Amino acid sequence: MLSIINYIREFLRPHWITTFFTAKTAPLVTPPHFRDFPELTDKECTHCLACMMICPAPEAITVVKREEIWRPEITKGHCIRCGLCIEACPEDVLTSGRILAYKKEEELTLQGTFHIEIDQSKCMGCGNCTVACPVNREIDPALRSSGTSTSDEVIMRVDTGQNKVLHEEKCTGCKTCEESCSNGAIRVARIVEALQGGEK
Amino acid sequence: MKKTVDISLPVGPMHPCFKEPCRIKCETRGEYVLAAEVELGYVKKGIERIMRGRPWQEVMFLAERVCGICSVIHNFVFIESVEHISGIVPTERAAYLRVIVNELDRMQSHLLANYSYCYTIEHETLAMYLLNLRETVMDQLELITGARVTCAFIVPGGVRCDISSDIADELRSALDHIDAELTRFIRIFETGPLIGLRSKGIGILTKDAAIESHAVGPTARASGIDNDQRSTHPTYTALGFSPVIRQEGDNFARIMVRFEEVFQSIRLIRSALEAMREGPIRGGGTIKAGSIRYRGEAPRGELLYELTTDDYGRILEIAIQTPSIPNIQVCAHAMLIDAQSAADITSIFISSDPCIACTER
Repeated sequence: MLSIINYIREFLRPHWITTFFTAKTAPLVTPPHFRDFPELTDKECTHCLACMMICPAPEAITVVKREEIWRPEITKGHCIRCGLCIEACPEDVLTSGRILAYKKEEELTLQGTFHIEIDQSKCMGCGNCTVACPVNREIDPALRSSGTSTSDEVIMRVDTGQNKVLHEEKCTGCKTCEESCSNGAIRVARIVEALQGGEK
Repeated sequence: MKKTVDISLPVGPMHPCFKEPCRIKCETRGEYVLAAEVELGYVKKGIERIMRGRPWQEVMFLAERVCGICSVIHNFVFIESVEHISGIVPTERAAYLRVIVNELDRMQSHLLANYSYCYTIEHETLAMYLLNLRETVMDQLELITGARVTCAFIVPGGVRCDISSDIADELRSALDHIDAELTRFIRIFETGPLIGLRSKGIGILTKDAAIESHAVGPTARASGIDNDQRSTHPTYTALGFSPVIRQEGDNFARIMVRFEEVFQSIRLIRSALEAMREGPIRGGGTIKAGSIRYRGEAPRGELLYELTTDDYGRILEIAIQTPSIPNIQVCAHAMLIDAQSAADITSIFISSDPCIACTER
């Protein structure tokens, strides 16, 4: 009996009756706070590769030069919409949902230091990583066409048949070397810190 | 003379009542269940293997992809375990924000579990009401974190973003709405005679059997066991947390424990919103080398992360023990035995809220 009374009370509520007679599916609208795929703002990309460094998904974001302008490009099938690239970018090039607004308002950053590890038992000294590394190519333009370098300023180079790391501190942690290595011999450890209130 | 034949009755792997694939193999005499075994292995991901050798900023996303229904707690426990290794303490505001998002996640998980149960006992009206109410909770999660399921809200030393006073007001009014609606739905559930017939006294798990078979979470708490990892968590103790316990141990008790825990979550969020003061939401800190066993309370029970990190903050070894692993075995070996009807097999199984994605990882 109590159950029947409860059902009658449920179905005699004015709200229930009005919604029953005026039932209408709400339009499908993406709310403005939804964290969607990152989009470009009008700010200029400086090719610092912080977005590639922080990205947790494989090859979801790449910084490429098109018509003499560097800009990040998202591969939508790979991107998991985590929004870390937006927080890591120091120039506010990317935006999605409310993340950029929060980041500016509260001065949120993600900063990293990097350590390159080469497994010498797997490395065959092919030099793919040294050629692929975008920082290496900026420092020594000769690396754009050949695998060998005479410069001592590069991050790493092939020396006497083995890859050697010279300047670890110049690494931006972009993982391009990891992706170009056919043996999985090179690993970049990214020690990232989530900070607030500008640089530490 | 009528011959009684023992039948091996398979339920699943594809069954309309199951959210995920698994097979229950029952030995029955007529409708009476003599023994049961749960067979898994349909959705194995091998996610712990993928996690190895990766830094926290990659593993936190893999961790929340272990399970889509309780994603926040996986992120929560993983980040707190690496924080404990490295001696990082989250800021006060971040600790409260973590509790708010975690409790919203618990609410949506419990509402989904109870939706599933009502659907299994063929009370589709109440099931759809609960699923509709869950959308309100999901909207709040989206409002705070930017995503409904894979929130990725917690980072070492703090959280991803703060909540403004507008969002806090919207959250408060949503909680009032859920409170009012759920009170009516529980009244329907408690007084429904047909619901009572399908729920009360069905699938009884006694306290001794629950202790013996290591039941966790709402399944254990419905059998009178005071076992909740939130009781020892510093932020929860500061908010005056005490676990919800019932003594009956049947389907009805398990569902009611989840309903009461939704109200408890509402109270916790309200008191966290009151207790929160302005301040930083991130304290920084890098991950150091070490190993730990760390527990947290997922919506389904105790979640354990056992992991080792190296000097560069990478995860070397990781093992995840999810609450559904013991609960599914408890269900097969203690709750399903002596079920009087084959129709009760699915309802007993669903009442223990099994999560196959968690179990197989």
